[in-house]
This record gives sequence, C-alpha cells and structure tokens, in this order.
Amino acid sequence: MVGLSAGERQFIHGGIAQDLRSDGRQRLQFRPISVQTGVIPQANGSARATLGATDVIASIKAELGKPAPLQPDKGKVSIFIDCSPTAAPVFEGRGGEELSAELSVGLQRCLLGGKSGAGAGIDLSSLIVVEGKVCWDLYIDGLVISSDGNLLDALAAAIKAALSNTGIPKVSVSVGASGEDQPEVDVSDEEFMQFDTSGVPVVVTLTKVGRHYIVDATLEEESQMSSAVSVSVNRHGRVCGLIKRGGTGLDPSVVLDMVSVAKHASETLIAVLDSEIASAEAIDDDDAI
Amino acid sequence: MMRELHVSLNQTQRVRLQAAFQHISDIGSQASSGLLVSVSDTIPVNNEEGILKGHGTSERDGQVVATLCGVVERVNKLVYVRALRARYKPEVGDIIVGRVIEIAPKRWRLEINFSQDAVLMLQSMNLPDGIQRRRTAVDELNMRSIFEENDVVCAEVRGFQHDGSLHLQARSQKYGKLERGQLLRVPAYLVKRRKQHFHDLEQYGVDLILGCNGFIWVGEHVVPRDNEMVEDQESTLKDKEQSYTQLEIRQNICRIANSVRLLSALGFAISVDAIIDTAEASKSSNIDIKDMLGAEFYVQIAEREVQKRISLLKKKRG
Repeated sequence: MVGLSAGERQFIHGGIAQDLRSDGRQRLQFRPISVQTGVIPQANGSARATLGATDVIASIKAELGKPAPLQPDKGKVSIFIDCSPTAAPVFEGRGGEELSAELSVGLQRCLLGGKSGAGAGIDLSSLIVVEGKVCWDLYIDGLVISSDGNLLDALAAAIKAALSNTGIPKVSVSVGASGEDQPEVDVSDEEFMQFDTSGVPVVVTLTKVGRHYIVDATLEEESQMSSAVSVSVNRHGRVCGLIKRGGTGLDPSVVLDMVSVAKHASETLIAVLDSEIASAEAIDDDDAI
Repeated sequence: MMRELHVSLNQTQRVRLQAAFQHISDIGSQASSGLLVSVSDTIPVNNEEGILKGHGTSERDGQVVATLCGVVERVNKLVYVRALRARYKPEVGDIIVGRVIEIAPKRWRLEINFSQDAVLMLQSMNLPDGIQRRRTAVDELNMRSIFEENDVVCAEVRGFQHDGSLHLQARSQKYGKLERGQLLRVPAYLVKRRKQHFHDLEQYGVDLILGCNGFIWVGEHVVPRDNEMVEDQESTLKDKEQSYTQLEIRQNICRIANSVRLLSALGFAISVDAIIDTAEASKSSNIDIKDMLGAEFYVQIAEREVQKRISLLKKKRG
C-alpha cells in the first residue's frame, strides 16, 4: 500500500533501532490524541478520535430487541467497522472490506469478551429490560476517515469515548403484561441512563520492526512490520484480549514481554484518554447549553 | 495523499492562536498586492471590453465572479483564478522531487503531485557514475540499477511534449536518487520558486531539498559521488546497523522535518530561513522533537510569525 524506497526503509529501521522515529518520538510514545464527543446528533452516543493524522468516528445506536434464548439475562452488542474511500483510494468499492472485517473481528475480541459475554468491557446484564423478553441491542459502528496507521487503537479509543457519551433512554414496562406475551414498553424521551465505561479496555498495538517493537506505528512504519500484537488492557491492568497479526512468528518469551510492555504503555494511554474524554464532554455540555 | 496534522488546543491556546491569525490577516490586508477571492466573489474588471474569462471564473448578471478560492491573475485580457489548494502546476526549470511508480521502455514514470505522471527519459539523464551512456539494449535492461520502483528522485522540469505529457531531466550530479532520509508532502503553494532549492545545512549535516511540487526531502548529507557505484546488495544485519544514520544527525533530520510539518500545518510559506528559524526556536526553548507537533509550540510559532511580520512591516515603512 505504501511504497517506500530502500533508502527510506533503512532510515525507518535505523530510527527504530536508535529509539528516535521519523517524527521524533521514542519507541513507546504515542502521537497526540484528541477526542470530540457528540459528533453525530442522531446516534445515542458518538465520538471522533484523532491520533496524529489517523481520524476515526464511532457511533452507538441502541435499539430494543429480544435477548438470545441461551442468554435470557443479557443484551447484545455488535461492532462493525467501515473504511471510507476518503481515507485511501484502495478502500473504494469492495476494496476496504478485508481490512474492515479484520478490524471488526479484532475489536469484538478485544472489547466484547467471550461468547457468553463474560469479561466484556460493557456489562451486558445492564442492557436487559425484561429478562428473556426485552433488551437493548447496541450497534457500534466505526468509520475510518483518514488512515495513518494504528487504526485498531484509534477505533478502540473512539468507541470508549462514544460509550461514555452514550445515553440509553429509560424504559418503563407496563405491569399488566404477563406470561407468554411480549410486554409493552414505554421509552422515555427525557430520562437517560449512562453507562459505566470504567471497565472498557483500551487497545495497545505493538508493531515489531526489526528487533524492536513500537507503539502507535504510522502507515510508513506499519508497512515495515514483521508482526504486530494488539493487547487490550483495562484500567486494572488486566489483559482482556490479544491478537497477533502479520506473517512472522514470535517467540513465546517475546510475546510475554510485549504483553507486559503493552500493559505499561496502556497506563499512560488510559490517563491521556480519560482527560481527553473529560474535556471533550465538558465542551459538549457547554455547547448543549 | 496529503495527511493533515491535528492539534488539540486548550481554551487559552485557542484564544492566543485566534489572536495571532487575526494579526496576520490584518497585516496581510494592509500589505497585500494580489487580489484574493473566494467562491462567488466579484472580480472587478472595470467594465473593460472583451474580457476573456479563464479558469475559475464565470459570468453572473454581467459580472465576472470567482468559482474558486485563490488569487486573481491577469494576462492582458485574460482573467483567471489561481487556486491555492490545488495540484502542482509545473513550470519549465522547476526543481521537483518525485517518486518512481513505473519503469516503461526507455523511461521512468514519476508521481509528482501533478494531474498526470511525469516522464523521465533514459536519454535525458546522466548516469550516476558520470560515464558516457551507450545506447544499447543492455543499457535499457539495466534501468533498474539506476532507479527502481518507489525510489525518490530529484529532477528538473524540462518541458511539455506535443501530446501534453510532462518531461523531466536530470543532467547533473546534484539530481538523482535520494536515500537515507524522509520525504514529506506539503501543499505545493507553500513552496515558492527560488534561486536555490538544494540546501546543504552544514551546521546540521542535513540535506534539504524543497521541491516546487511540495515534496520535501530531508536527509543525511551526502557528498556528490562521481566515481564507482556502491555495491552492497547483500550486507549482513550487523553491517546494516553500523551504516545507520548517526543519532545526532538523525535528531537534526527529525527536528527539521517536524519544522516543515508544523509550518505546513499552520499554512506558512516554507523556505529554508523559516525552517531553520523554527528549528532553532524549538532548540532554544528546549522543546523536545516530538513536542514540536504539540499544541503549545504550534501556538508559539504562530505568535512568532506575527512578530516577524510586524517587524518586517516596520522596516518597510522605514
């Protein structure tokens, strides 16, 4: 996707080996991240995250649905990512589908926990309205507007911000309904409940170039990667998900090392992201008034 | 593909930046000579007879109006708008930096941010080692040993052919392949045509090439070679690590590259003086290389530009 000459490739490799990357960052430093919330008024919650020149939007739509028969006490969450052709001409038509699917699956692994919903960043039982009958279905849609590498981390950050921006309408159930009938529900227009997003993990992708690995790789650096490991870590430093991409195999000890480095890097990322979300929410509230 | 830098400012920084830009536009309106128009602005033509409406203009209610944002240009009776945010428009003699995208019979095709690909013919360049080229079939087959796909190349605009295609030439030692550095892309209008586009910044050990097409090369200084070609195809990893750019020079390269990124994000004209000034300002105020792209330095440079323009204006008025 990115064409680099041999000289430029060597320059990038050298920079990573010497711990001074092309834009002056060290191996474990992120680009400046900024978050804007409430960018899509029609959605229940939305956020736009920029990480350097990478720009993504996440929106959250809640709909009333029926819980799965096997898990009557849990709501449903699905994640879908789309790559806009404005990000790169190759995404035009069906060109972005492969990457979209990869990102969607990656985020589902990192944020949604197991099949049973255990370990999910979002408490699925908080989405239930009437057990076995009515629940909220959350549709999380991500859109890549501009791509300069590290899409997975940016999307996870945007989703985390969007979730904290989300208000789910309060629902009152009419008492009369019983038995087999679908209960009648009344969706409030005024009262909303907020999610507890403290459990939503962040994703830190470590890209291995040469002997070293870096966080927050740009597109040029990603083109030089031998393999990448994305680790999702929550506030307590627990690993929630792990994905390895790229062809080259990794020694198990390297993977363990990468996981602990990712955990360390996630602490700074969570702190930065939290303050960005807080200031974005403050601006958003000001605008609302 | 041009990627914009996003800077998130806090409240005070935003106010400071707005004030700085307000200053600049105030100064600009006092000193501007050209006529800047945006879409639907009327272009005054003083009811001249037989005005020719060129690119970016249209007629509405008997008046010439602009359909683009840019600078009004006049050539005799022709009025046109030169758009600022547009692709590069080559002129003969321009020095450009481009990337090889294809090797075709006897020619390379280069991406130079023009509306079409530029052509560099094998016959319009001197070989890197300076020897006389023999026009043989073998010579054509060996083109990849000179430039490969994706190589970054510096050349000069030779002219347009009859069919409208753009031809380049590289008939000097200073043109040719660029290695050991990084290529930056900025909007082409930020780079003004100067006498000198090659800069050897001795104090930094850095070569800087400001291509008129908005491609800017920042790389390690190389002495123009005029003898043998280097044959180190199969080097070991250890050799490779030893041949990496020295850390000190790399720091300078990154600092200068970030100066260029910053100036382009602010929309200030990119010249050697401006780049060095920005780099020195970052050094003297102890800004880390990576923090040069942060909000604080962004605002600082905007304010610095205001001071520069004010002092320039004072000098002009004497």
